[in-house]
Amino acid sequence: MEDKEILEKFANPDSRNLAFNQLVRKYQQKIYWHIRKMVIDHDDADDLTQEVFIKVWKNLENFRQDAQLYTWLYRIATNECLTFLSSKRKKFFLPINDVAAELTEKIDSSPDIDGDEIQLKLQKALLKLPDKQRLVFNMKYYDELKYEEMSEILGTSVGALKASYHHAVKKIEEFIKQD
Amino acid sequence: MTMKNDFKLSDLPKRNIYEVPEKYFDRLPAQIMERTAGAGYSPAPWYAAAWKPLKLAMAPLVLLLVAGIVYFSQLRQEKEKSAVILATVADEAIMDYLSTYAVLESSDFAEMPSLSDPDMTAEFLNVSPKAAEEELEYYQLDMTDY
Repeated sequence: MEDKEILEKFANPDSRNLAFNQLVRKYQQKIYWHIRKMVIDHDDADDLTQEVFIKVWKNLENFRQDAQLYTWLYRIATNECLTFLSSKRKKFFLPINDVAAELTEKIDSSPDIDGDEIQLKLQKALLKLPDKQRLVFNMKYYDELKYEEMSEILGTSVGALKASYHHAVKKIEEFIKQD
Repeated sequence: MTMKNDFKLSDLPKRNIYEVPEKYFDRLPAQIMERTAGAGYSPAPWYAAAWKPLKLAMAPLVLLLVAGIVYFSQLRQEKEKSAVILATVADEAIMDYLSTYAVLESSDFAEMPSLSDPDMTAEFLNVSPKAAEEELEYYQLDMTDY
């Protein structure tokens, strides 16, 4: 079902639930994996994914259709991730490196992570990046979004995103070479 | 793949190493729908649909209003400026100007209290009453049919 059709059906109270169910089925995996790569832990990603869709349910009627639906969903998911990571630091008075260390520990110990040595190293290298740079890397490298789309989601210029991605790749390569 | 000193990210195949519990994505929509039942949704306020066309209509109106305010404020400033300049001109200079250039009406003279002075007529005509009468008799103006 096209986004336009989903939105039209959502506007009608009789077909609202059906339309929303279609929206969740269409976008759940993209949103979940976007969040999962940021928070690493499945349970956290599950909670945040559900929160994102509850927010979408509450605000979809006010969604301005001059933006694309999926960029709006990405933006909500991105904000949820950043808020989650930030509150995690504030809650436990952790500096940035300790959160990274905690997430690195999850990569080593979690049963639902399966990768060879180099893949695990790549994930650990990613955790060395600041949250926003990690977001940029994930969106470009894994989600293969265009810079223009990322710019709309993150509210950052295309030039700044290109520079951020380029630096992220260099840092990751350096980390893997040194380790 | 082995880690080498010349490691390039582009050489590494992209792979998602994270896994989810079995049938997780089959169950997730039902879990979310269950939560939406109690969450309620925020219907758009009545003015939300009208806001966009209203904004488009408001733009030229606001522009017109601003232009009007600027125009009338400039007009008022001009008037005040003229009044200030006129106040600095002496009455005599105004009278000289009016007698030389302006087309005068009786109402103009009524506004000038100094003209009620009877001697003003002589001064104004620059002739004595006797000389005026002699002039009238010479041309027999009282016989002339106007």
